[in-house]
Amino acid sequence: MINKDLNILRNFNVLYLEDDENLLKHTSDVLEDFVNNIFAVKTSKEALDVLLNKKVDVIISDILLKDENGIDFLKHIQSKNIHIPAILTTAHTDTNYLLDAIKLKVDNYIVKPINIKELLDSLHDVLLPLVQEKEIRKNKNVIKTISAITDSKQVEIVKYIINSLDKENLFIASYTDIMENFSISKPTLIKLFKDLAEKNILIKVQHKTYRFNENALENI
Amino acid sequence: MKNKFNALLAYFNDLSFKYKTYFLIFIISGGMLCIIILSQISIFTIKQDFDILFDERTRSLIQLENIKDVYQVNIQNTLIDFEKKQINIQQTNEILDLAQEIINKNWISYKNQTKADNREFLSTFIKLFIIKEENYYENEALRNAIMENISNKMQLINQNIININSNMDEISFSNFNFQINSISIYLTSLINYDLSLAINEKHNTDKVFKIIVIFSIISIFIVFLFSIILSSFIINHFKQLHNSLEEKIKDKTKELQRLNNSLEIKISREVSQNRKKDIIMFQQARFASLGEMLNNIAHQWRQPLGSITMIIQSFQTKMSLGKLTPTFVDEKVNDALLLANNMSNTLEDFKNFFSPNKIKSEFSIKNCIEHSIELSKYLLNQENIIVILKVRKDMEIHSYYNELSHVFLNLIANSKDALCSNVNKNDRIIKIIVNKFKKHLVINVIDNGGGIPQNVLPKVFEPYYTTKYKSAGTGIGLYMSKQIIEKHMFGEISCKNISHKIKDDKVFDCSLFTIKIPISLD
Repeated sequence: MINKDLNILRNFNVLYLEDDENLLKHTSDVLEDFVNNIFAVKTSKEALDVLLNKKVDVIISDILLKDENGIDFLKHIQSKNIHIPAILTTAHTDTNYLLDAIKLKVDNYIVKPINIKELLDSLHDVLLPLVQEKEIRKNKNVIKTISAITDSKQVEIVKYIINSLDKENLFIASYTDIMENFSISKPTLIKLFKDLAEKNILIKVQHKTYRFNENALENI
Repeated sequence: MKNKFNALLAYFNDLSFKYKTYFLIFIISGGMLCIIILSQISIFTIKQDFDILFDERTRSLIQLENIKDVYQVNIQNTLIDFEKKQINIQQTNEILDLAQEIINKNWISYKNQTKADNREFLSTFIKLFIIKEENYYENEALRNAIMENISNKMQLINQNIININSNMDEISFSNFNFQINSISIYLTSLINYDLSLAINEKHNTDKVFKIIVIFSIISIFIVFLFSIILSSFIINHFKQLHNSLEEKIKDKTKELQRLNNSLEIKISREVSQNRKKDIIMFQQARFASLGEMLNNIAHQWRQPLGSITMIIQSFQTKMSLGKLTPTFVDEKVNDALLLANNMSNTLEDFKNFFSPNKIKSEFSIKNCIEHSIELSKYLLNQENIIVILKVRKDMEIHSYYNELSHVFLNLIANSKDALCSNVNKNDRIIKIIVNKFKKHLVINVIDNGGGIPQNVLPKVFEPYYTTKYKSAGTGIGLYMSKQIIEKHMFGEISCKNISHKIKDDKVFDCSLFTIKIPISLD
């Protein structure tokens, strides 16, 4: 049933704004199994309160609220420079709302009755970039840490090789080319290439041409 | 001849009515004139002839007779007396002188009379030109000769009388007598002549009279004939006119009847069409409110439907996560049943409202209004409209529940539209006040939607009149309401604009709809 990795949702807090008490309760009951925390509120006032005091990663809001409007609420918080991804739910397929929603750069627009899969999917879609960003940042830190404790020159050359790969993962250069860019002794360079060739990461295809084998990385 | 006559008849027949009457008048007046003139002429002629006969002729005859008498009686007798010496000469002379004087006088007057022989102009004219005067009795020569003889004899007798003296002999006396006798004879012949003249005159007069009579008769006949002919023409003309008019009238009557028939058909068709239109209108109104109600149902269903959908899906997600516990299932099923029950009730409400229940029933007016408010609750809530219901006196009425409810729904919807477009969200109020006034139930529906524009006010109850944007209204609601209240419940509905303290002593421009329903029809 669930194709996407919904486990990524586990780390996030969701603000759910819905005026229908029943729906609010039942939807929250479902969502709480998937997310870290769900703040279920009935009015924009409560919602604002939550926003100011809690860490909220994504907002799910109904458009037609009692006495107010989800779109107006989103406008309001945007005007306060709070930029949180939002998903709108509505029983209205009215294009007026849709246009407003697009202008507000709302991330998704779900028509009631809510399909929980659709809601979870769109939550996933909204939150995935956040997860990925985190991941990248983490990896960067790993690399930086490694380069700090090992020979930094070798790390730089590996970076250079990966950055110079063409479409077919081929690296075309001679030792002299590399030595012109980096102040590295030839024996060290030959040793590095030899190491990489031994581990099947960089295979010599022909003179001055090497193939970068991504799959070999998985086996390390 | 006959052809000509026919042609003439045809000509007259073809003459216009005007000319026919002119002809008739002309002929009658001409004929009358003719008759009058002729009768006048005949009268005058006859009178003149009488004058001549009795005055002139008779007088002249009398004069001649006198002369004759004088000669015979006075002169002859005197002479005889004188001869017999019964009177003397002197006496004789006196008598003779007297006689002579009388004779002379008569003779002169006779002669004068014959000369003055003038006649009336007209009769002369007629006698001259129309009839041939028979003058064969008249003979001037004979008459003159006789008169001359008489004159001569007179002179002779005069001489004799003068010569009468004492010495008168037998011969002279006999001579004298002879002369007197001869003069008597002459006189007698003159008298005869005059008589014959008179007779002649009489004949002529007869003739003139006859001719005049004939002419009169002819003219009378002609006038009569022409009058009859022309009258018959005119009568014919009238008949024709009458016939043609009658025919025309018949035609027109037929046309009118046809028109009448077609009108009747048209009217009945129009009436049935009108009835159909009314039925269609009622249906349209029903559909319109059905649409509105459907909208209501949709709204009222959407929320529980959303919740139920969520509940169903929650089973799946809990299952996949292995968190499906009996408590969870029980809880969710209970909730779902509650929601479903709610939905069912909503449906029931609307179904009742739309059931074609045309039976009068006893119901509380308060319940009816509350129910109507309940039915439109969703939209009212959505637009943040507060409905205040004040029942000063609730009562049971015997009427059509659904129709009355329909009216309240219409009024509420109307107020809702006015409030939505005119008033900000915090001040939207509809106030319904129920009261009893004499034998009427009075329901006032007030909203602070700013009232109805003056130019719209007289038209609000007209069918298909709407101020709303096309999709918003059919323009039938208020018309339908009026029909229901007036035709089905024999009540009244009216509207006006008022200023009313609807809330917190704040005065608003309000529109007020007043419904009056008789409490019991019996």
